[in-house]
Amino acid sequence: MSAPSAHDVCVVGGGVTGAGIARDLSLRGLSVLLLEKGDWGGGTTGSSSWMIHGGPRYLEFDWDTTRLSTQDAGYIVSIARNMVYRVVFIIPVLPHDRNNIERMETAMEVYDRFQPLKKAHPHTRLTAEEALQAEPGLTPELIGAVTMEEWGVDPHRLVFANVQDAISHGARALNHTRVVGLVRDGGKVIGVRYRGSDGAMSEARAKVVVNAAGPWVPEISRMAGADVRLRPAKGIHIVYPHRISNFSISAESIDGRDLLMVSHAGFTLLGTTDDDFYGDLDSVDVLEDEVDYLLQAFERVFPSIRSYRPVRTTTGVRPTLFKWRRYEDELSRRYEVIDHAHDGAEGFVTIAGGKLSMYRLMAEQTSDVVCRKLGHQAPCVTATRPLPGNEADVEPAAELGRRSGITALAAMKLQTRHGSNAGAVLKDSRSGRMICRCEPITEAELVHAARHEQVRTLADAFRRVGLAAGPCAGAACVLRAAGVIGGELDWSASQRFDAAREFVRGAWLGRAPILGRSGWAQEELAVGSLRGLGN
Amino acid sequence: MARADSLAKLAFAYGVHLTRRRLTRPRSQLATLLETYAADGIRPLLPEERARHAQLIGCINCGLCALAAGRVGKVRLPDLASSYMRLYARLGEAASDVDGDSPDLEAAAAACPVGVPLGEVAAIVRRLTAG
Repeated sequence: MSAPSAHDVCVVGGGVTGAGIARDLSLRGLSVLLLEKGDWGGGTTGSSSWMIHGGPRYLEFDWDTTRLSTQDAGYIVSIARNMVYRVVFIIPVLPHDRNNIERMETAMEVYDRFQPLKKAHPHTRLTAEEALQAEPGLTPELIGAVTMEEWGVDPHRLVFANVQDAISHGARALNHTRVVGLVRDGGKVIGVRYRGSDGAMSEARAKVVVNAAGPWVPEISRMAGADVRLRPAKGIHIVYPHRISNFSISAESIDGRDLLMVSHAGFTLLGTTDDDFYGDLDSVDVLEDEVDYLLQAFERVFPSIRSYRPVRTTTGVRPTLFKWRRYEDELSRRYEVIDHAHDGAEGFVTIAGGKLSMYRLMAEQTSDVVCRKLGHQAPCVTATRPLPGNEADVEPAAELGRRSGITALAAMKLQTRHGSNAGAVLKDSRSGRMICRCEPITEAELVHAARHEQVRTLADAFRRVGLAAGPCAGAACVLRAAGVIGGELDWSASQRFDAAREFVRGAWLGRAPILGRSGWAQEELAVGSLRGLGN
Repeated sequence: MARADSLAKLAFAYGVHLTRRRLTRPRSQLATLLETYAADGIRPLLPEERARHAQLIGCINCGLCALAAGRVGKVRLPDLASSYMRLYARLGEAASDVDGDSPDLEAAAAACPVGVPLGEVAAIVRRLTAG
């Protein structure tokens, strides 16, 4: 084991909260080590609904949560302006729905008071005929609808933008690095022991260790002898590789829960479930029952949903704060910053609970606690300082495409991932060769991801640039991508083959629960294209 | 306490809402909705496009149509169906990609193993890129 490195703060967990804390503390001038056992945003963050939303459902429980959430969503929309896009919901009201149209509109009228905080427009109310003009796929049985606006974001890019900014302000950030223990000195936590991506054990000393491990918070807390109780809740989404509609749609499930079909840049997420989860956090499966539960609800408002071919499912576990008795859906998305000094673990701080839309605020408040412990006085600047690639407006996509020898569509997609830095991404390698045609992704972007964005596996490339996220689910691009990334990372021919095989196996796990319906033509093509990888 | 307070405020808002609905004549808000989001490219599909939509986006990117026919403007046919058809909201920014000649789309559609109607796909992409 090499000599321990020394830092002011070590943050455990590279989801959006941990990355946000690392950025916040780095910008305040502290030296930070950020450790993530998998890839950036590969856990709960990446399996979210990809939305920065204000939380209208909290209006029933606590308006203050809605105000805080909306206000912080507004800050995120400002600092990530090139990464976010408007998501407009049609909320159809059917006979026998839990809420009639007047109650739904009342909720939206109240929500409109908060919408300006996140630069969103007020709601509109539509008659049944108008709703069908806006979205002809809705059921003709509807009796009216209201609309609501939220913001969409690629959470993987959001996490990495935070990591990237932390690094550029002096932080050290390591993915595929698992914390295996804490270093203690009597009643103090003074560092962490971790296993790196190469399997080597290392030690790092830190004046404060922050536990931002999401649903893994209790596991890390136990290493410090502290007990943090969560009520983990599993949520799944069905992923369609197209926008099914330009409008997002809300539906009521058989048990009265609100479900969402969310139209993102080039795909649709349909979800989500919310069930207590007691299993292995590193191996969360999607069940066919869960898929049926979602489809049943949407079939009622959007009858043709079963004729669309999903391409995969996602699943994640929310780190909800513990509460006895309540139904999962009624649990708060509130969060708590815990200083474990009173548990006999001085120098150890946990952030638990919360949600993507409030990540910046959670990071700010956790960083405030850390700074107080260190006696460090520096203000938080993350509410106003743009994330990398969001400092300036993007140039017209057609212009970037013409200059770089790629299509305008490829340039536009590049800009959604890299914002105003899109042109710089193409400088490393001039190759405009398309590696993934569905997304689309050029060889130059993949080279950049391997050189500068800590891509170490094909699954990392899926998260960082959307490799194999399109309709063909990787059938046409996995081997080409393994060649490009392998070339950058000095993989042998067999390592490239193994990387492709590992990716295909992982992708199959997310695809299997939805293949019972349609998609076998796609699967046959994939099997043929990647023959040999499954052996 | 927060819950009771929230429900009370919602109940008051509900009363105000019902009163206002009784006193004012409802106006159509569809035009407002569409104008508000036109700049974001959020526009409805036409009813006939909606009816055929699942078929229109059924491409599995096998590439056979490219062998049969070629390109629409700068765009290879499989990309038109598998990539451009994914993204409606900002297609206006990619209008220059589909400017130019169309190949024999009927021949291309005949080669498609999952029956994607490529002529209709080209028409809808052109409609959406035109804004």
